[in-house]
Amino acid sequence: MIEQLQRLPGVGPKTAQRLALHILKRSESEVQALAQAILEAKQQVGLCSVCFHLSAEPVCEICRSPNRDSHTICVVADSRDVIALEKTREYRGKYHVLGGLISPMDGIGPDQLNIGQLVRRVSKQDTKEVILAISPSVEGETTTLYIGQLVKPFTKVTRIAFGLPMGGDLEYADEVTLARALEGRRELD
Amino acid sequence: MYLKTLHLRQFRNYREQQIAFSAPKTILLGDNAQGKSNLLEAVELLATLRSHRALRDRELVLEGEPIGQITATLERETGTVDLAVLLRSNGRRTVSLNGETLRRQLDFLGVMNAVQFSSLDLDLVRGGPGERRSWLDTLLIQLEPVYAYILQQYNTVLRQRNALLKQRRRSEEVGETPPDLEQLAIWDAQLAAIGSRVIRRRARVLDRLAPLAQTWHQAISSSTEQLEICYAPNVQLEQDDPSVVQQTFLDKLAQRSIAEQHQGTTLVGPHRDEVEFTINQTPARQYGSQGQQRTLVLALKLAELKLIESVVGEPPLLLLDDVLAELDLNRQNKLLETIQDRFQTLITTTHLGSFDAQWLKSSQILTVRSGHIEE
Ligand SMILES: Nc1ncnc2c1ncn2[C@@H]1O[C@H](COP(=O)(O)OP(=O)(O)O)[C@@H](O)[C@H]1O
Ligand SMILES: [Mg+2]
Ligand SMILES: [Zn+2]
Repeated sequence: MIEQLQRLPGVGPKTAQRLALHILKRSESEVQALAQAILEAKQQVGLCSVCFHLSAEPVCEICRSPNRDSHTICVVADSRDVIALEKTREYRGKYHVLGGLISPMDGIGPDQLNIGQLVRRVSKQDTKEVILAISPSVEGETTTLYIGQLVKPFTKVTRIAFGLPMGGDLEYADEVTLARALEGRRELD
Repeated sequence: MYLKTLHLRQFRNYREQQIAFSAPKTILLGDNAQGKSNLLEAVELLATLRSHRALRDRELVLEGEPIGQITATLERETGTVDLAVLLRSNGRRTVSLNGETLRRQLDFLGVMNAVQFSSLDLDLVRGGPGERRSWLDTLLIQLEPVYAYILQQYNTVLRQRNALLKQRRRSEEVGETPPDLEQLAIWDAQLAAIGSRVIRRRARVLDRLAPLAQTWHQAISSSTEQLEICYAPNVQLEQDDPSVVQQTFLDKLAQRSIAEQHQGTTLVGPHRDEVEFTINQTPARQYGSQGQQRTLVLALKLAELKLIESVVGEPPLLLLDDVLAELDLNRQNKLLETIQDRFQTLITTTHLGSFDAQWLKSSQILTVRSGHIEE
């Protein structure tokens, strides 16, 4: 169990041991409930077929919402970034989750990401703006430039001006920083 | 700047050691393999977050322990600073200043400055170009901490681009269409943009260092020997203008693209730079006797001290690892004249015999014995 727990993000050997001990001390029914909840979530939550955000339904809540501006698409690397941006309550458009960043060292090229789907989405529906909200790491920069080239023929492309610390993740930016970044976005050249 | 205290916990062969420095010169006396260089390495880490002898933090932590720690109190003209580096045998470092953990390691750099001089430094002259690039990079990091970030970015782009070139070569070998050229073009642009920043900074620091080294070299060799230091970047730097350098870089990438494709690796960029030392127009590598090469390295180190002092505004520490005894009296005296009491100096040695009695008296002498230090 400790070995399994240690594979979780942010869990080191010490934390894994603590979690394992905690679980062993609970009653069997409690442990059963936890295991059940994990399994159910895994079985029920898949990816939205439009934007690839985590979703229990085939199309996620954000994509289905009539109150959201469907002419604006914010492109992020990961579902975590959607959650971070949603917390700001500043953004009223839709999303597109890439599922990672271009990284040849990890064998991830454009074909391993949801980039083709994005281009199709942008070219088919009436899109007024694509906002690239991708971290300013070397891989993020390459992904931003790559996507920019592909979608620029169809629509205006902007990128978030990160006021983020070097090497910082979108996830770690506080809400105020993110909201400001969203406001100060600039056109990709 | 003055290092007042150093505390090593589970660092190399030190389990727990507190050291208080009480004189501008401290001599660490001990037999081989007792922990003298380990102590200097701790100071080097505080200054640069790099070690010239460890590849992984695991090597730095006391064997069998999960963590190690270096803490220090440094007196600067602007006030006293507490520095701490926490090393993990399995994981990332944590650095903190005045008890506050920093999110960016970059902010830790530039607080403490040190110039290291060990007998290994003869490799600066005799070794391959990688030794000279690494020397230059360590100096740049101290003068301009943001350079550490630029260098890290450059190395990441380089590794990514090499991985892509290898993929392309592999696909070609099995007759598949290689990954898209558009992606390669973007990595090219990034390599050129970040690489130019590296090149321009290396050129700039050598411009400032060369005349200083030249003067020192003449003073130490007390002769008409003329030292030249010449930066030989892989991508030519005709003008110190970012867009010009980038364009030259891109042109050269285009020129070498077939060779790169064939070898599956990046052949263009500052990772292939060289720094040439010549004495009276002869490459120092071939020219020098060991004594002459030592003079050259000593001149470089003195120039580093002066350059850091003038850029940072305070004298850096000097770490002399086993070299002082190796210098003849003339060179020893030149060095000691220069440092006087201005540069706090830590000196390791196995014997006190070859040192001048006068300054032995004014020095603090610490004995190092298998990870323990005694006054
Ligand atoms: N991570 C480590 N844990 C324990 N001992 C170490 C570690 N790294 C190096 N050592 C020991 O430190 C000693 C070398 O210390 P060093 O400072 O290089 O010697 P010197 O006094 O000759 O300069 C060796 O005995 C080596 O085994
Ligand atoms: Mg030693
Ligand atoms: Zn969706």
